[in-house]
Amino acid sequence: MSPSSPFEPREVAPIQRGFVAGLGREGIETFREWASALRLFMLAMRAAFEPGKAARGTVHRVTLAQIVFTGAEGLPFVTATALVLGATLMLQMRVAAPGLPGEIVGKVLVTLLLRELAPLVTATIVASRSGTAIATEIGNMRASLEVLGLSSMGIDPARYVVLPRLIAVVVSVLVLMIYFGILALLGAAALAAIFGTPDLGSIRTGIADTVGLPDLPLFLVKGAGCGGLVAVICCHYGLQVKSSITEVPLMTGKAVIRAVIGCVLYSFVLTLAFYSVVGTPGFQM
Amino acid sequence: MSDGIVLRDVTLRRGLMAVVERQSVVVPKGGTLLVTGANGTGKSSLLYLAGGLIAPDSGEVRLGGMLVDPARPGALVVHGVRRGFVFQQGGLVANLSALQNVALPLRYHADRLGLGEAVIEERARFCLGAVGVEGRLVHSLPGRLSFGIAKRVAFARAMAIEPNFAFFDDPDAGLDHENAEVAYDILASFRDDASVTMIVATNHRALIERLGVPVRELVDGRLHRADMAKTPPRSLV
Repeated sequence: MSPSSPFEPREVAPIQRGFVAGLGREGIETFREWASALRLFMLAMRAAFEPGKAARGTVHRVTLAQIVFTGAEGLPFVTATALVLGATLMLQMRVAAPGLPGEIVGKVLVTLLLRELAPLVTATIVASRSGTAIATEIGNMRASLEVLGLSSMGIDPARYVVLPRLIAVVVSVLVLMIYFGILALLGAAALAAIFGTPDLGSIRTGIADTVGLPDLPLFLVKGAGCGGLVAVICCHYGLQVKSSITEVPLMTGKAVIRAVIGCVLYSFVLTLAFYSVVGTPGFQM
Repeated sequence: MSDGIVLRDVTLRRGLMAVVERQSVVVPKGGTLLVTGANGTGKSSLLYLAGGLIAPDSGEVRLGGMLVDPARPGALVVHGVRRGFVFQQGGLVANLSALQNVALPLRYHADRLGLGEAVIEERARFCLGAVGVEGRLVHSLPGRLSFGIAKRVAFARAMAIEPNFAFFDDPDAGLDHENAEVAYDILASFRDDASVTMIVATNHRALIERLGVPVRELVDGRLHRADMAKTPPRSLV
């Protein structure tokens, strides 16, 4: 990556000879970064089981503060987005297919809103709000030697910095995702009620016919996975800051983009796996 | 096996530059070593290496006989290694007040150190008082403190854990005369404490003369004995 200004201290990227060589280098670099993020996740998981009752108490307090910031303070954004998105989806269905039966509308709401948009949009909101905060905060902590300072006190940064944010983001995405799903359906129902069609009863029947028990694990695994991806990737890029605060915005931007891309890919793979394992519940093929 | 600080055949590179090249240093238990060298030679990196904050590219670092693994900083505390570290600047946790910063290592290791909440608060306040940080200042975030006061808080934090290994990176840099005297007194007390093994990185002649301990000069990745009487390092101010 080239420096954005000639005055910044980063090294100039080596000249890439040819498209294929450049692609290969990018590929290797991306692989290394994902491997490094995975290692960070493993360190945080190991740290979760480290002994030390007092340390656990300190980490719990940090985790709670992070849950309040990511989960509770994120509620207004999720509320607004879910209601408007649900209503928009209903509006588009009415425009694209006027007279569409309520049962079909209900099925589309489940497949699009609950199975895809709820985890993805929630993760994107959390990534853009808390992910940026995490990457920026950790980046600044690196630049101001806070991370080294923690280590010098025998405090494992994987336990004190990464683990609380990982838990908080996973918990928050899971809870916010359920909240998002309910509000988005309400938003869609509200619009249908305003226009009078489709009939709310038939929409409810369509939803009930489509939602099955296999949706629960899909919902939870998607939410937990997307939350984990956002947390680990943002922590990872925050920790990539070496010594200069000019690196912080660069890493924050990278973190959010990579986190969102990671969530989209992860969600797609899970959806494929879901339909190949469970079949297509609620649909007559 | 020394119970102090042992660097055996360590090499540390930063890009193409060798900060430390195959160097071995032993600071015996209770001993003090002063490291000097021109700006940018890598004194801070050497200190981080000796303090177990970063891993060498080759060689090994031991504190109290314990092989250091920077990826597991908590393991040292389990084995009785308590480090006090004062960075050249920064190092305090930005979202914790001065008091919370000093209390943090005590709270985190309270069960291992056998400390109750009341003792932690009392000791943190005592250490802050010892460096002259009192009143409303103890509740201030580091960002609201002047450089000198933030550095004194860092000293208090290093003292609070009652370290058996202490590391100071340019401890009097940026301090006025009065604050520098406070820093010198703390360093002298650590020097005289037989349970504390210490490394200090500095270029200040006044500090070197005040501590009166062996000095090594870091030049081109190698540590040379500095004879203060005959040929004092040129980097001193």
